[in-house]
Amino acid sequence: MTVDTDSAGAPRKGAPARPPLPGGRFTGDGSIGGRLLKIALLGLFTALGVWAVLPLYVAGNWWGIGLVVAVVALVYWVYLSGRTVPAKYLLPGVLFLTAFQILPVLYTMSTSVTNLSDGHRGDKEQAIAAIEAFSVTRDPDSPEYVLTVATTGDPATGELAFLLTDGRGNAHVGTDEGLHDLPRAEIDPSSGKVTEAFGYTILTPTEVNARSDELQEFAVPTDSGAGIRSSGLSSAFEGSATRVYDEDCDCVTDTESGVVYHADDERGAFYSEEGQRLAQGWQVGVGLDNFGRFLLNPTFASSFFSILLWNIAFAASVTFLVFVVGLAVALTLHVPRLRGKTFYRILVVLPYAMSSLAMYLLWRDMFNTDFGLFNRMLGLQVDWLGDAWSARTAVILANVWLGYPYMFLVATGALQAIPRELGQAAQIDGAGPWQAFRHVTLPLLMVAMTPILIATFAFNFNNFNAVWLISRGGPFSPENPTAGATDLLITYTYRLAFNEATAQYGYAAALSVMIFLIVSVISVVSLSRSKALQEVDR
Amino acid sequence: MRFRSAPAATGIAAIVLMATACGGGGGDEGGETAAEDTLVIWSDPERADAIQGAAEEFAEANGITVDVQGLAFDDIQGDLLNAHQAGNAPDVFIGAHDWTGNLVRNGAVQPVELPEDRAAGVEETALEALSFDGRLFGVPYSQENIFLMRNTELVPDAPETFEELVEIGTELKEEGETSEVLAMAVGQEGEPFRMNALFTSAGGYLFGQDDTGTWDPSDLGVGSDESIAAMEKIAEYGEAGEGVLRRSIDTENDAVLFYEEDAPFFIAGPWNIGDANESGVDYGISPIPGFEEGGPASPYIGYHAFFVTEGSSNSALAQEFVTNYVTDPDFILSLYEADPRTPVQTEALESVSADDPNIAAIAEAGADGMPMPSIPEMGETWEPLGQAQAQALAGEDVREAMEAAHNTIAEQIGG
Amino acid sequence: MTMDASAPVRGPHRLGGAARFALWSRRLGWRHAVMWLVVAFAIFPVLFVVSAALNPLGTLSSAQLWPTGASLDNAVELFENTPFTTWYGNSLFFALSNATVTVLLSALAAYAFSRMRFKGRRVGLIGLLVIQMFPQFLAIVAIYLMFSNIGEYYPAIGFDTRWGLLLVYLGGALSINTWLMKGFFDTVPKELDESAQMDGASHAQVFFRIMLPLVTPVLAIVGLLVFISTINEFLMASVFLRDTDAKTLGLGLYQLVASQRNANFGMFAVGAVMLSLPTLAVFWFLQRYITEGLTSGAVKG
Repeated sequence: MTVDTDSAGAPRKGAPARPPLPGGRFTGDGSIGGRLLKIALLGLFTALGVWAVLPLYVAGNWWGIGLVVAVVALVYWVYLSGRTVPAKYLLPGVLFLTAFQILPVLYTMSTSVTNLSDGHRGDKEQAIAAIEAFSVTRDPDSPEYVLTVATTGDPATGELAFLLTDGRGNAHVGTDEGLHDLPRAEIDPSSGKVTEAFGYTILTPTEVNARSDELQEFAVPTDSGAGIRSSGLSSAFEGSATRVYDEDCDCVTDTESGVVYHADDERGAFYSEEGQRLAQGWQVGVGLDNFGRFLLNPTFASSFFSILLWNIAFAASVTFLVFVVGLAVALTLHVPRLRGKTFYRILVVLPYAMSSLAMYLLWRDMFNTDFGLFNRMLGLQVDWLGDAWSARTAVILANVWLGYPYMFLVATGALQAIPRELGQAAQIDGAGPWQAFRHVTLPLLMVAMTPILIATFAFNFNNFNAVWLISRGGPFSPENPTAGATDLLITYTYRLAFNEATAQYGYAAALSVMIFLIVSVISVVSLSRSKALQEVDR
Repeated sequence: MRFRSAPAATGIAAIVLMATACGGGGGDEGGETAAEDTLVIWSDPERADAIQGAAEEFAEANGITVDVQGLAFDDIQGDLLNAHQAGNAPDVFIGAHDWTGNLVRNGAVQPVELPEDRAAGVEETALEALSFDGRLFGVPYSQENIFLMRNTELVPDAPETFEELVEIGTELKEEGETSEVLAMAVGQEGEPFRMNALFTSAGGYLFGQDDTGTWDPSDLGVGSDESIAAMEKIAEYGEAGEGVLRRSIDTENDAVLFYEEDAPFFIAGPWNIGDANESGVDYGISPIPGFEEGGPASPYIGYHAFFVTEGSSNSALAQEFVTNYVTDPDFILSLYEADPRTPVQTEALESVSADDPNIAAIAEAGADGMPMPSIPEMGETWEPLGQAQAQALAGEDVREAMEAAHNTIAEQIGG
Repeated sequence: MTMDASAPVRGPHRLGGAARFALWSRRLGWRHAVMWLVVAFAIFPVLFVVSAALNPLGTLSSAQLWPTGASLDNAVELFENTPFTTWYGNSLFFALSNATVTVLLSALAAYAFSRMRFKGRRVGLIGLLVIQMFPQFLAIVAIYLMFSNIGEYYPAIGFDTRWGLLLVYLGGALSINTWLMKGFFDTVPKELDESAQMDGASHAQVFFRIMLPLVTPVLAIVGLLVFISTINEFLMASVFLRDTDAKTLGLGLYQLVASQRNANFGMFAVGAVMLSLPTLAVFWFLQRYITEGLTSGAVKG
């Protein structure tokens, strides 16, 4: 490898003497070109702000306008003031971070004190509307009509009228006043639809569709107290809502069975005297109930601590092993002359380039008792994923395979920052290669690698796919079907809160907030004990 | 050191530009798709093109456009609920009948009223499966159920009972013709969906049913004596017993065992037909046999249906589409050509069965089947029940496993 | 790059064959041996994916390395039944644009964290680490609500648009990558930029003209890491991209195997192999910057 050491020192001190660099256009403050560019970028940003305000103004969303103006003002202040140099560099990334990471996370955390879950997603009005709409049942033996939607006025705004053809081919007209005969109507014999009726404008499908919301509310009152409602564009039926909401008692009455369901604003659903609830509920605040639900549950406490222990062990051992393997490979390749270095590098990085989804599925298959590669190759009959410790080994092994290229890449980069002469000098002073590495290279390396190791730990601590796609958290013991031997806190959360069909977001958020606190404390503590944070404090 | 970022940056910029250029076109107008008079339909990618093509006629007749968007089938329910909560849902979507309960309790779908003549053309059990509290919420168009596939070269006649199946399979295994008796996916976590046929034949049950066939979530049967006895009977064929049903056979390798002629029998689904034809194995389709002294084996039947989203701004057209168009034999046949599934519309089923004997055989294999319960509580049963079944087959104490699963489910559904 | 010409060791020309081999194996030979082992460990699972890609029966299993009947059926099917090239182009668009912008934003922030002392620096650094630990799948409801609102006012960056998804990806621009970069910036001696500032260079000039060229390796590494994670991402993509032609390859592949009962592992395997190719190409392109960036003189300052 030829490195241009001869020219390495020269251009550094004399930066201005360099030929123009690609970044030169952005150089900012110093030069006139930079200043012009800054003005141009700010101008562009202002234009973006104006573009953002326009639709908000049209909609009259003053909060939105305030937000946009605030952001634009912040940008102006940061880039025009001389006292905000760090902010000039941080602002672009921080804006994205705040909008698309911090805000969603904060919102999610806020749902941990609500009952947000399937059956409790919307607000109370939506629940009531759904209860009433879903209870409309077709009256038995009532006639069925072919429907033509018409109006007496303008197609977009005029009063709606249902032109209805009954089974015998007679036409009627229904308005919100009631049902009448429609003697002079022309009817298409094949479809039964009215094609022309005096005094009525027949709406085209798109015109009808534009008034969908109205149509859903519209019912032609009939003598029996029911109403004729539309179903699509071309049929109508007579039906009545069997469940009616009454604001005075804040309750829903089932007219068929006579059962009254009272709103329970603590639980977010309508309950009858006997404790039966209507399926549609709404989202309410439940305080710390979600936290109490797992903190006060005795089986939770016992499974939680064993899972936490394994979770830490899993994340620590994967991090340690990928570090060792990745660093070893990086060191092996860290020599000036090695034939085929590029070739090796590319093949070593291959596991990282492959879709992890595919690789997890494959690793899972390799651990199959009867057909898997390992047992076949080694002639074993190990029930890899059926036994707690072998399953744990399997999960760790697969994740080391998937994770070490990352460490290899990072370590390769970090090794470049450490002058090779340092290690060589130590060796000349009489230290063996291992001692030279241990006492000279490694400490320097650790400064750059510690935050990466902590991040790898944090990533693996929450590495859902790593476990879910290989063992699904199993194996499980009959005594405790909710906590498996390889379960991480996150897979455990997922199983408790998202069981196939039922998503309990509030509960999951509460569990996550707790896990989040635990991981954060672990990370911050280990960080503050490491050299990396002394670096931060410097 | 010479600064080498310049060519690098140029290279990256060039590739970005190129990628933008080739990927362009689609994305830029993307935001406009929510415009009015566009009926947005969610489907799985396999059927998206077929639905788009078939719905084109409907769109033309009504002066609108149709936009079919593809999502992974198993993601549709979750994404739809999220999108509905955010006010961003499609007008129509395709889904499985067992989602109905959950969709209804979230107020995410509209009730549908089928005109009598349309309803008469569709199997009644299919309509019942898509009803909740006596109201229809989706229009079914196809059904699927699992069945027994056998290698007709090795086994010319379909076995009548499960005992007979095991006997034939064991004989072939002892003769060295095959290495497995039966390829039935169990997996480490269990497969209650496939196991249900044997489970019901041996007398087990999940939820009780009242006289009208409505599921009763308060009558959970997983830990009942009947269910435990049923699993004990099945466990006789497990790893500690005959070794026919094993956790090492899972959904990834079950089909290969059959295609490679390592197993003479295969508990298969309609989704296996395509590969089976390609594998060159001569196969026959028959119902999954029950136990000799047990009841009939009832595989789960799953219906696929079209639903209309509550709050759709195009609900009139969406309703029109599902009531009068999805029930149309021509529409069903054009979907069938893209993705061969057993139609539930009688006329379409007859015309399809005449051409494709497999469809008729699959429909027959589903004759004793039961629609998967569509109550929301059903979702809570899969995982605990699967675990318990896997443990039972692994040779663990059946009663303990089933009772633990029962308690977990009961706790989750609050019953 | 002339590395091949310079290897193997040229010096000991006059030594006998055996002695030369002994020296070679002591210096480099064992490295080759180790690397062959590592390479074997690295690629054997990948070979099964290649095998599945060739196997006309769509299964992914480690039971057999040699497929029953090797054919290109899966590839043909993938090309015919899916808008494969469009998906590929979309994937490259997201991976490249996200990698480029992330490297820029992250380097800007890392410069501030490394060279400047300001209030909130420590909190900011730790916060960057901690925010990553919140499970992403939970935030999806929030993302839905947020972009439904955004899409109402600005259809150009709402759902079903590539710009919306790119914005969400850029939300992760400041992350542990910023830490990685900061660590690297720290190894560049302070005297270098201090003397430049004495010469009258502005902080921006120092950043663009002095720092960036010196940290090329970490820029390349971060670029590669972001490229890889973006090209394999499908969770957020599945929320945003619904139109068949707007999808990325990662998302399209996920949808091929997402359905338990209808998984097509053959097409999936072909796609997985194809998807790894640009990653490897980008790595091959960047690896010279990774290993050649800082020369030994840098730390001496």
